[in-house]
Amino acid sequence: MPFAESLWGNLVQDLPLLVPVLFLWIVGTLMLWPLGSWLLKSMPKRQWSGITFVVLLVTLVLVFRTPAGQGFSGMFQVDGLTTGFQILAIVAAAITVILSQPQLNALKEQSVEYYALILFSTSGMMLLVGATDLVSLYMALELMALCIYILVGYLREQDRGIEAGIKYFLLGAFSSGLLVYGMSLIFAAAGGKTTNLAALNQALALAPRNAELMIFTGVILVLAGFGFKVAAVPFHMWSPDVYDGAPTPITAFLSTAPKAAALGAFVRLFGTAFNGVHGDWAAPLSFMAAASMILGNIAALRQQSMKRLLAYSSIAHVGYMLLAVLSHDAQAGAQAIWLYMLTYLLMQGGVFAVIIYLQGKGEGERIEDFRGLSKRRPMLAFAMLVFMLSLGGIPPMLGFFAKFYLFKLAIEQGFVTLTVLAFLTSAISAYYYLNVVATMYFKEAPEGEAQPMGSGLSIVVFATCLLVLVGTCLGPWLMDWTARIVLV
Amino acid sequence: MNPSLPWFQNLPLWVTAVPLIGALVLLLVPKEKRRVFELGALAITIFDFLLSVPLWFQYDRSTAAVQWVTKLDWIPSLGVKFSIGMDGISLVLFLLTTFIGFIAVWCSFSAIGERHKEYYVWLMVMQFSMMGVFICQDMFLFYLFWELMLVPMYFLIAIWGGPQKLYAAIKLFLYTLAGSVLMLVAILAIYFLQAKTTGRYDFSFESFHAMAPIIATQSRNFQILLALALFVGFAIKVPMFPFHTWLPDAHVQAPTAGSVILAGILLKMGTYGFVRFLLPIAPDATKVLLPWFLALTLIGLIYGALVAMIQKDMKKLVAYSSVSHLGLCMLGVFSMNPNGLQGAIFQMLNHGISTSGLFLIVGIVYERRHTRMIADFGGLSKTMPVYATIFMIMTMSSIGLPGLNGFIGEATIFMGAFQVHPWWAVVATTGIILGAAYMLWLYQRVMFGPLNETNAQMKDLNAREIAYFAPLVVVAFWIGLNPTPIMEILAKPVEKLVIQVNPDFYKHEELAKVQAEAAKVGMAAMAAPAHHEAAEAHESATPAAEVHGGH
Repeated sequence: MPFAESLWGNLVQDLPLLVPVLFLWIVGTLMLWPLGSWLLKSMPKRQWSGITFVVLLVTLVLVFRTPAGQGFSGMFQVDGLTTGFQILAIVAAAITVILSQPQLNALKEQSVEYYALILFSTSGMMLLVGATDLVSLYMALELMALCIYILVGYLREQDRGIEAGIKYFLLGAFSSGLLVYGMSLIFAAAGGKTTNLAALNQALALAPRNAELMIFTGVILVLAGFGFKVAAVPFHMWSPDVYDGAPTPITAFLSTAPKAAALGAFVRLFGTAFNGVHGDWAAPLSFMAAASMILGNIAALRQQSMKRLLAYSSIAHVGYMLLAVLSHDAQAGAQAIWLYMLTYLLMQGGVFAVIIYLQGKGEGERIEDFRGLSKRRPMLAFAMLVFMLSLGGIPPMLGFFAKFYLFKLAIEQGFVTLTVLAFLTSAISAYYYLNVVATMYFKEAPEGEAQPMGSGLSIVVFATCLLVLVGTCLGPWLMDWTARIVLV
Repeated sequence: MNPSLPWFQNLPLWVTAVPLIGALVLLLVPKEKRRVFELGALAITIFDFLLSVPLWFQYDRSTAAVQWVTKLDWIPSLGVKFSIGMDGISLVLFLLTTFIGFIAVWCSFSAIGERHKEYYVWLMVMQFSMMGVFICQDMFLFYLFWELMLVPMYFLIAIWGGPQKLYAAIKLFLYTLAGSVLMLVAILAIYFLQAKTTGRYDFSFESFHAMAPIIATQSRNFQILLALALFVGFAIKVPMFPFHTWLPDAHVQAPTAGSVILAGILLKMGTYGFVRFLLPIAPDATKVLLPWFLALTLIGLIYGALVAMIQKDMKKLVAYSSVSHLGLCMLGVFSMNPNGLQGAIFQMLNHGISTSGLFLIVGIVYERRHTRMIADFGGLSKTMPVYATIFMIMTMSSIGLPGLNGFIGEATIFMGAFQVHPWWAVVATTGIILGAAYMLWLYQRVMFGPLNETNAQMKDLNAREIAYFAPLVVVAFWIGLNPTPIMEILAKPVEKLVIQVNPDFYKHEELAKVQAEAAKVGMAAMAAPAHHEAAEAHESATPAAEVHGGH
């Protein structure tokens, strides 16, 4: 049986590439199995998040130790992009896990499954960013998304939670359908012989003239599918409601990890497979980027709820990052996105930590609740100030360096109009970020202070704040590092 | 070129760092100790000013080169350097900053009633970032400092401002931010043009200035868009009509020290940007757009004066007078000849002194009466003689009475403007006349006339107030009577700038002069090569210097 033997041989040979992912699967499965869950349940609930955090740290180490290479018949590849974006996904998951602990305690909703789902979802992201084949890409995307559907609807006794879960699931499933349909059209147009991304690029170049419409339709559908995943306008409708309804730690997760992974895959897919048909998707993607920047920022101006504000601002940030996807140079694009996403998830993690800290028992997520924070909790207010300025991209904050790097790339690629738009809309964004600052610093505190929660959280807040501040000093060097970390 | 100094021997760098270090020290003091913050901040700024005085003597006036140069690698992959240094133009404004700095602190002692710690810390950060703008020689660094300025200013207005403070602060922030992001786009566009044409990735001022000939070969649209982006960025900061609307709000709402810093230094950033970037980097496009720019300048000049005239609020009046005075500065800048530019920079300095003085004067009555309405006052000269004297000096300085600082700047600007745009200059003089009118009218309404009972209770200046007005008065007279030292500092850098912007200017004069000399000596054959040399002498510019000396 030479075929089976060689298959087995290849599998064993390629397995090292997947070690971090396999590790997550094994741990996740053990957590759910009777023995594992019995073990976990025998210890105090508050240690679960700690254990999950350690698991993620181990995964991070494994990621660093994974050798570069390609395997599984060209379905999966470990390179700079994979490693870089896997790190992002793990860091985002780790932040989420820490944030989950006090929140779920307060809601009395601790469960092993919650943490296992985060681990599975993270493994999906790690596969997604390394996928070099339409099939593996789609599978990984679904693995990631399915777990998140459940996590979004996790608070099953709250109407808002169920609404968010259902909404996200239905729209997500719909977008997956679009994605698959687009992929199948492209597969057919490319001659129906390959689903490998690199091979597809060549095949599409050789496609007959009468297949042009088919390719175009396919690419647009794939674009729409990814648009849903990263919540770019006009496929963003789900995001404010879902952000609002999901448990706050999951909102933090949702706004960073899947976006990072999807953008990584986005760059890889469009930069390699569809690089030859750049003309087909450049215009629609430009439109998506421009619309996201404008609508995201303008809609955020009027929000009263902190989570909705962050949802809209997240749409805007994705709009900026789409400029990098648009780049003709996929590698430079990936680098810019990586740096942006790294800073973004730090800041976002910090902001959500502050929100959860103030949230008490699931209440108090309006901007109003930040009134007079500078007097009540000066350090916390200062941390929030740092995050807000950084999110607004005000120099010399960390966020500025990331934005600068991204916009520099966009101008280099010749998207001057879009970049000017990006600059101007980011000036608009300063308004709502500063509005939060103004609320904290210049408005009087309300009567009767809400009971804050989780002293452990304050450590997270300050650690992130410190990271952002240190990053501010290191920002310039971070830009230099970017070049080393991500190499497609 | 001066040799590069190691960073620890670089005096301007230390002068810049002192407020930042001071701010960090103040952060450690518990917030109840009001006196410590006041005196500490004053000590820091006075020390800083004294530390900056030697720069005046160290500066080598015989060259246009950037001095106190220090260059360290910062982001090698982007070509960003931590590069600092100053030429005469920066030096003058840098010294103005350290000078206004301690006055701004001193005038806040009685005006600031709450949150002292934050206030003085932000004020120190403000000083640091403003000085940073003037000493840096790298676009990236410049942009960082330029934006950093906004944050402390935002807080100064939004916490310690008047009733509409939040609105004013956010308006200031957004206006300036919108302008500066456009500027950033322009900076990046030049950066990549440079990479494309010369293969260099460099953000230094030098290399940006060296791009001017290459930019001149680009398409007309590119040049004009570039010039417009830079123009809008700086025009908002100046502010020029129609981008000035943030200014009255910010000034009126800001605490006195905030207004002093705004008027004294922050507005100079805009004109500094014009002089430092727009003119040398895109001279051709600027010349194409010049009629438009000049028109806006003159509208600002006259409109500002007219609006100032009808104000009922003293502070608003002074704020609009700033719009008008900076219009005059811009007229000098757009003359693009030595007199105009020198006068413009000189006027920036003067405006910094006289308008800061006027804001302080408004602050004095506001602290005593908690109103700034002109109608509430009258006859103050009877009860407040010292105040009346200082007010008169500052008014005269502001309207350009000979013997005081304002006159020198105005006269030089008009000399420059008449050389190139006589009709524009004629129109601009109406602004000056209006300026005299609204200032004197203000003085008359506040100082003379019947004295009502509440106003009769007002105390004259106390020792502290006299102490911070005294340096302003001294400097106003000193500059007015002896402007030569500052003119000397500005001469060479301005000459270099004119060669960059308007090379024809010296070419014509040089040609005439060389021909006259040649005719006199009877060696007409020498004329041609000498002329040729003069045209190429961009860096050394020695022949041009002679012309200027005899000018």
